Amino acid sequence: MSRSEGVETSSRQKAKALAGLRFGDAIFRGLTQTAAVSVLLVLSGVIVSLVIGSLPALRMFGFGFLTSEVWNPVTEKFGALAAILGTVTTSLIAMVIAVPVGLGVAIFLTELCPQWLRRPIGIAIELLAGIPSIIYGIWGLFVFAPFVQSSIEPGLIAIFGHVPVFSSIFAGPPYGIGTLTAGFVLAIMVLPFVASVSRDVFDTVPPVLKESAYGMGCTKWEVVRRVVVPYTRVGVIGGAMLGLGRALGETMAVTFVIGNAHKISASILAPGTTISATIANEFTEAVGDLYTSSLIALGLILFVITFLVLAAARLMLMRLERQKGA
Amino acid sequence: MNEMPALKPDLREKITVRVLKFFYGESLALKSINLPLYRNKVTAFIGPSGCGKSTLLRVLNRMYELYPNQRAEGQVLLDGNNILDTDQDLNLLRSRVGMVFQKPTPFPMTIYDNIAFGIKLYENIPKSEMDGRVEKALRGSALWEEVKDKLGASGLSLSGGQQQRLCIARTVAIRPEVILLDEPCSALDPISTAKIEELIDELTEDYTIAIVTHSMQQAARVSAFTAFMYLGELIEFDETSKVFTAPREKRTQDYVTGRFG
Amino acid sequence: MSEALYASRRRSNVIVMGLCYAATAFGLGFLALILGTLFWRGLVGLNLAVFTQMTPPPGSSGGLLNAIMGSLLMTSLGVVIGTPLGMLAGTYMAEYGRHSRLASIVRFINDILLSAPSIVIGLFVYEIMVAPMGHFSAIAGVVALAILVVPVVVRTTEDMLLLVPTSLREAAAALGMPRSHVILRVAFKAARAGLITGVLLAIARVSGETAPLLFTSLNNQFWSSDLNAPMSSLPIVIFQFALSPYADWQQLAWTGALLITVTVLALSIVARWLGTSRTAT
Repeated sequence: MSRSEGVETSSRQKAKALAGLRFGDAIFRGLTQTAAVSVLLVLSGVIVSLVIGSLPALRMFGFGFLTSEVWNPVTEKFGALAAILGTVTTSLIAMVIAVPVGLGVAIFLTELCPQWLRRPIGIAIELLAGIPSIIYGIWGLFVFAPFVQSSIEPGLIAIFGHVPVFSSIFAGPPYGIGTLTAGFVLAIMVLPFVASVSRDVFDTVPPVLKESAYGMGCTKWEVVRRVVVPYTRVGVIGGAMLGLGRALGETMAVTFVIGNAHKISASILAPGTTISATIANEFTEAVGDLYTSSLIALGLILFVITFLVLAAARLMLMRLERQKGA
Repeated sequence: MNEMPALKPDLREKITVRVLKFFYGESLALKSINLPLYRNKVTAFIGPSGCGKSTLLRVLNRMYELYPNQRAEGQVLLDGNNILDTDQDLNLLRSRVGMVFQKPTPFPMTIYDNIAFGIKLYENIPKSEMDGRVEKALRGSALWEEVKDKLGASGLSLSGGQQQRLCIARTVAIRPEVILLDEPCSALDPISTAKIEELIDELTEDYTIAIVTHSMQQAARVSAFTAFMYLGELIEFDETSKVFTAPREKRTQDYVTGRFG
Repeated sequence: MSEALYASRRRSNVIVMGLCYAATAFGLGFLALILGTLFWRGLVGLNLAVFTQMTPPPGSSGGLLNAIMGSLLMTSLGVVIGTPLGMLAGTYMAEYGRHSRLASIVRFINDILLSAPSIVIGLFVYEIMVAPMGHFSAIAGVVALAILVVPVVVRTTEDMLLLVPTSLREAAAALGMPRSHVILRVAFKAARAGLITGVLLAIARVSGETAPLLFTSLNNQFWSSDLNAPMSSLPIVIFQFALSPYADWQQLAWTGALLITVTVLALSIVARWLGTSRTAT
């Protein structure tokens, strides 16, 4: 058999083999594209179903739903204000604690920690992030809240008792559970997240940049303040906002210790509620379409709030990546 | 050069490139290339960095189709059929025109599977026959003696030179007609390079070969014909000995004597 | 150089760095505290009965068998459904649609779903499955968990496939391999360790989720493998028992919490070990 003959049959044979694979190839491509589109469908589905489910409540209460504090299943009057304020307050308390501490941990890991300790501590922080939120919840209820009740809250009440504005913010009685405790537990939950994102972002600073600052005689703090943080500002803010997004939507860590009172009080030591805690506690016992619909409306509000925060965070981080890539 | 170089009547053309233009986005990277690749001969593409020699090579198996912003215009005839036609089956084309890359790329599989992988795509043969084909491919790239006892080892466990020979074996296993070599030795040590150059010489018996190389000495050693390119144009094409000893164009002369590079 | 200025700079530095040490001690301290409490309170109640008996009514002794099995079953099914979907989507984004508009949009949306409140996902599944079906069911819980698995798997699949060098893909294409073969037989193989890590991380994340199960699979005092009926699960049982006033229920809650935490931490450690050991090939 001459070489050219062998080549021709081989060519025909190859064409046949490839033709057989063409169909499967197209199917696979179609499958991957469909799967990608389905991710979009899930998000749209969530929005659509929440809107549809909330319609009865929104139609009944209108805009007043957002501004009313009343939450009465018996008279069927529902208002989201207590829950919304509770969500925002606990998350704010959490961020006020978690962001500085998280940044402190990140600075420690990138500047102060001896090389051999970096990995273990980094892993420990990430393990903290992996603990399921319900663990934080029961720990908060059984261990932390009693401690807060017996030590921290009386202390706060005593310190601020006679200071004008603050005395109403830190007014007793010391329940132990309440908005402050929930905020604190949330802070411990969000802390590892903020710390590891900040640490990753700090690691992207080119060593040359830091070396030139040290070379001018800057102290560590000055290098961090003048070089590292400005360089990574967008990333740190993005990471903090991602943490905020998680804090806003957190259910289990908060439900155990918030106290579940649909009331707005000036004092953060008092019990309150958040959107997710309300839904978690009341959904399965909700009787009546209006009650259920109001709870779903709460869910819609929560989704919108977290969507906005997360989208803003994503956009900031995308801008950072583009800046680095350029 | 805007006309086809004077054809050698006693040699048959395997591939004919006619008025080939290549675009990266809006910018023209290859300017009207006309070039023959003769059957069972080695043609070398030489020229300074950025002259378009790799770009030209990658048109011959339409590798550029993997990327959205790249396109080619003109004709590339393989045995008389224009492979730039839109109805050309790309996978079939690549089964006939194989390519070995600058960086050795063994698949994350055993040495045996690296070779069998391609064969299985086109032929359904029993294991005994497959064993024979694998051995033949490995012998054909001078690798058999070194790996025959460890066919089950990972392809990544071989040295750089061996990995590159594995890639060559993988390519010849599916019985192409043309083999394109894109700077195959630039990542290898001199001894592996010498082995591969020997291999290229043996391969011409069954295959038409095009090789892009940065080394003029290598082009002089392995090729029968040489194409000198500069800034996307084909400046000179002729028998290798003529290009290096008596080039027609001044730019060719300047390049081969090392006045620029 | 002003002595006073230098001294004050030194002082600020010491103070701030001290605060950073404190912050780390704070974080690590709470980790130790929480894990310590968990082990101390949970280990006490860890006995064979936990694994062999069903959840008891208040006042009697029992175990967590139905909850454990329910969690295992629903988590596995959720992962089995969510992983292929997530991998296919991630494959599209890294391969076929790498620079396409669709991929950018999906990436954005996916990252939002990744951090979205899981209770909202629970509400969604309630609306589309539980309400029309008229009753709570394990399968609804499975769907909710699958929806949580998908974004994690999409993200890791895309990231891992993007790490595979293009030269490998070109080498496979140069043999005439059709695109699907290049992806499945070469790229996936090269990214295998990372893909497995992604699945393990998804399992770890989903194992501890409570909120999405609250109004989908609800709870069940007994064990039945009927997917069309409510099913017990560890997180839900912990939720119910911890908030109750009964001491033996609370003890079971702690033990259950310990079991979940140990599982999640073990999965994370294995995933991390796989991720780092394989990259050194």
